[in-house]
Amino acid sequence: MIIAERRPIPKVLKAIEPYERVLVLGCRGCVAVCSAGGDREVETMAAALRLARKLSGRPLKTGEATFIRQCDPEYLAPLKDMAREYEAVVSMACGVGVNLIADLFPEIRVYPGVDTTFYGANPALGEWQEKCRGCGDCILDVTGGLCPIARCAKNLLNGPCGGSQGGRCEIRPEVPCVWHQIYERLSARGELDRLMNFFPAKDWRPAGHGGPRERVREDLKMG
Amino acid sequence: MANITIGVLCCHYTNQAGEEDFRGIPGEVILKRYPCSGHIEVADILKTFEEGAEAVLVAGCEKDRCHNLSGSLRAEKKVLGARKILEEIGLEPERVRFAFLPRLDTGPFMEEVRRTFETALNMKSKS
Amino acid sequence: MEPRSHLHRVLSEGHFAVTAEIGPPKSADGEVVRRKARILKGYVDAANITDCQTAIVRMSSIASAVLVMAEGVESVIQMTCRDRNRIGMQADLLGAAALGIRNLLCITGDHQKFGNHPEAKGVFDLDSIQLLAMVRGMRDEGKFLCGEELTGARPEFFLGAAANPFADPFEFRVKRLEKKIRAGAEFIQTQIVYNVERFRKFMEMARDLGLTEKAYILAGITPPKSFGMARYMKYFVPGLDVPDEILKRLKEAKDKREEGINIAVEIIQQVREIPGVAGVHIMAIEWEEAVPEIVKRAGLHPRPLEAEVRSPIAVEVEKPVERVEVLAPPSEKVPEEVPPKLEIPVEAVKEVFSTVRSSMEALREGINLLHDSLARLERALLGGEVVPEEVPEVPRLEVKVEEKPVAEEKPPVEEKPPIEEARPPAEEAKPEVKEEKPEPEAKKEEKVEARVEEKPEEKPEEVKPEEKPAPAPPAEGVELGGFSGEYRPLSERAAGLPEDLYKEPGTAFIREVEIGKGEKAFKVGGTNVLPFHLFEGEMRHEPRIAMEVLDVKPEGWPESLTRYFADVLDDPAAWAKKCVETYGAEAVCIYLMGTDPNYLNLDAKHAREVVEKVAEAVDVPLIVWGAGHAEKDVEVLREVAEVLGDRGAVIGPVEEANHRTIGATAMGYGLPVVASSPIDVNLAKQLNILLENVGVALDKILMDPSIGALGYGLEYTYSVMERIRLAALYAQDDKLQVPFICNVGREVWKTKEVGLPSDDLLGDQEVRGILMEAITSVALALAGGDLFIMRHPKAIELTRTIIRGLMQQN
Repeated sequence: MIIAERRPIPKVLKAIEPYERVLVLGCRGCVAVCSAGGDREVETMAAALRLARKLSGRPLKTGEATFIRQCDPEYLAPLKDMAREYEAVVSMACGVGVNLIADLFPEIRVYPGVDTTFYGANPALGEWQEKCRGCGDCILDVTGGLCPIARCAKNLLNGPCGGSQGGRCEIRPEVPCVWHQIYERLSARGELDRLMNFFPAKDWRPAGHGGPRERVREDLKMG
Repeated sequence: MANITIGVLCCHYTNQAGEEDFRGIPGEVILKRYPCSGHIEVADILKTFEEGAEAVLVAGCEKDRCHNLSGSLRAEKKVLGARKILEEIGLEPERVRFAFLPRLDTGPFMEEVRRTFETALNMKSKS
Repeated sequence: MEPRSHLHRVLSEGHFAVTAEIGPPKSADGEVVRRKARILKGYVDAANITDCQTAIVRMSSIASAVLVMAEGVESVIQMTCRDRNRIGMQADLLGAAALGIRNLLCITGDHQKFGNHPEAKGVFDLDSIQLLAMVRGMRDEGKFLCGEELTGARPEFFLGAAANPFADPFEFRVKRLEKKIRAGAEFIQTQIVYNVERFRKFMEMARDLGLTEKAYILAGITPPKSFGMARYMKYFVPGLDVPDEILKRLKEAKDKREEGINIAVEIIQQVREIPGVAGVHIMAIEWEEAVPEIVKRAGLHPRPLEAEVRSPIAVEVEKPVERVEVLAPPSEKVPEEVPPKLEIPVEAVKEVFSTVRSSMEALREGINLLHDSLARLERALLGGEVVPEEVPEVPRLEVKVEEKPVAEEKPPVEEKPPIEEARPPAEEAKPEVKEEKPEPEAKKEEKVEARVEEKPEEKPEEVKPEEKPAPAPPAEGVELGGFSGEYRPLSERAAGLPEDLYKEPGTAFIREVEIGKGEKAFKVGGTNVLPFHLFEGEMRHEPRIAMEVLDVKPEGWPESLTRYFADVLDDPAAWAKKCVETYGAEAVCIYLMGTDPNYLNLDAKHAREVVEKVAEAVDVPLIVWGAGHAEKDVEVLREVAEVLGDRGAVIGPVEEANHRTIGATAMGYGLPVVASSPIDVNLAKQLNILLENVGVALDKILMDPSIGALGYGLEYTYSVMERIRLAALYAQDDKLQVPFICNVGREVWKTKEVGLPSDDLLGDQEVRGILMEAITSVALALAGGDLFIMRHPKAIELTRTIIRGLMQQN
């Protein structure tokens, strides 16, 4: 899922500084699952903003709502009317939600309430780890299912580098060296020869370096 | 001296304090009881400040006595979350504190309430 | 095949090659590079120029290479994958080839996290193996990476790569080397070799795969410049294996640099014997001057072939060249004689050594003076001119004097009764006793003192009997003299040496913790350097000492200690008052020993009363130390905290078992805590993190590493504290950036030795105890200790004097 993190309150306060009525809008998709932008976090964010504004002597009125998703126009549709009562919207969805609101409703001032961070898994309560970088050209088939693009600090394709020590990355000792893991995985399977193959320079266009990416499925498109 | 308000968010089972008991506190107490402290959210703590509390006590049962097993442990963590937000908006994190309390024993509970009141007093005099 | 470069020629003709590294400056000063090249000229086959090594911005490798070539030295450029994408890399390589650069080392590069721009976006479009393949394609097939044809001149590089035989997984390291060779590497530079055995094994595996036939392998060599550098490499540089043996040699060496060069030469000789090693690559980091010496001593000078390096166009800047001629006219004729002018460093280094020697002597004299003062103090304290209630003790003492008339009435002549146990803190300083005045009482036990070896050049005439008295302590208290001798600031002694050669301040500060409140309050911590390294950074606060009082009358203390407190031992308040008023204590530590459930099990109320009384009696900062019983302390300290809320007293010890409760109590009253962990870096850190998690700020924590007394694990404590401090200052470990508190008195005064009677072998009982306590404290101050809890007034004064002496520099 897409992982996000609550944006520091002072940054949100700065964005909504001129306004007195603000809608805090959550999303029940990924950000709710990773406890960054669901109903509970909307309530917290709204309370924090009100409290801060109360302390500064300029009380704020907030509305709170949470949509099923913010990345589909049909779920966002009610926002058009709802937003009329407010001067601005703080979206607790990932950056996709903020963008789609901005695309669909040019008249609505929308500000991010979270920082969108990465695609990750939730291996334990309260812990999320990056596992994929969406580079558009999967190589997991040859790396034992472990991604060096997302999980190696230098995105090496012919690793491990000289900083791998005792299975740990030199960047931070708590980070495992993914190339060490790949080595062990393949070694256990007797497939080490895969690592001896030269991995040629990667084409980074599918990773987004060729401009905004699009996906079209003609068989699903209507009209 | 200006009137001082404190908030007390507690598990219902931490005390049997009544109006009588709070009479000893020279200020106002916003008391919110919950069926379990695990139910107390960060937002609840912030809202209590919004209602005017200078300091907030969150009280739960002793670690191994929570009848929902880990309710009070969760509440303790929520307090940390609230502290972080308080800090971000420029309030002292010490304004909110957590206490593990014996079940249905009003004495220690009131002791914590008094301490919270002292914190509030300190905060007020500082500002 | 025609060799692609001079280096290639040296290797292909079978000579044992020597290359050395040049680190370009962090400035636009080309002269720095040229100077380094001149040092190396004639001693290396090529100079290898780093490409923003460790991700720190420096002059570019290609531009520096051009300057190096202008000095007639062949260059190897490095290119990392961190800073350029495939477009930038190919463009720069075409340019480098056009400038006449013929050797290229392809590496992935250190991660930007380690450099001075950790915020940078790391490119890593290619990795080192892909880079090798790309350059080989340009050179051999005349194709850019995209497949497009490269028409016209191709970049004719002799291609190199790096290999780390010491990284993990070990078995795969040779395989990866093979991959690099298959991708185009013709020569290989290895990571620094200290562990020759492991390198030998690596080479064996490489030979088995036939790799030594396909590429020239150069072993990486670095002369360790100091013990600190070697230790740093061992613990903090990933992928570097420094055996303990090397550390030991450096530690014990008198002349560390000389030993560093010896080590390098020996390793060269050893790796040269390993089949398949084609040469060495010397990385004398910021110490290029050492290279000629190493090459000469390793028997690798003169170099077999002379390089014909054509300086690329337009770089022959006149000025610097002229300056070279002025400086070194003779070296024009006899090039192999002396490296081009080491004049500044050699002179300066000599001078540093000579001044180090003389300051060592001054230190030795200072310690002698301390002993004299100790004697005088003994007199002042116990000789009858003090507090009336101590008078009865005097006769006892005099008996003692008569018992052991160690010295005859010899005026200021050295006395040398060797006593093994009482070694002074620093081995280099060999204090000897000097009788100051022939006063009858003064000569007793103070002539103990250790001698380590003969030192005939001792100069007694330099000892000034009237040394300055230490400034602070009140007159009727314990008083010692300060250090004598002159201190010459390092900046003066090191004049002419570049600062970065000897300065390495930490990257962070230890937090400042305020002890106490009000006028007498003080702070500890606030340093960004190793203890007393005042020349390279700041120590905002000097180490402090608190005197310990007990809540109950102590049992089993030796008389040599109790006699100073005989009249007050059963009254903590009077005791504390005496500490402050008579002995000048800056802080008092109340040890609530009586509350220990395994001892008297006194209740919290008792603790409260004691603390209340002491707090009333003295106005200095207080430390309250519980019995060390996790549960009981919670109760006791909570009670005590109420009394001490407005005193800013330190409470403790906090352990993992009670960190929440005591942490909460401390926070409630804004008190600092003592975080006690059992001599372990990770546990200490963990406890700090736990405390922080419950809301105790790091600047309210003092770390108690659980110290061991001299002879009882002092060195273990020392090393743990040292590691904690190094991690805090040099590895950005912010959870460890907390001052240390060391509970010295309790540990020392429970040892067997302090209680054994005076005899010839162990010497005087009291002096033994004093020195054990003072040495323990001073040693720990050198490891980073910030606040000490001590017992014996004389040990305290001795420690304080030494600390003050150490703080006086600059």
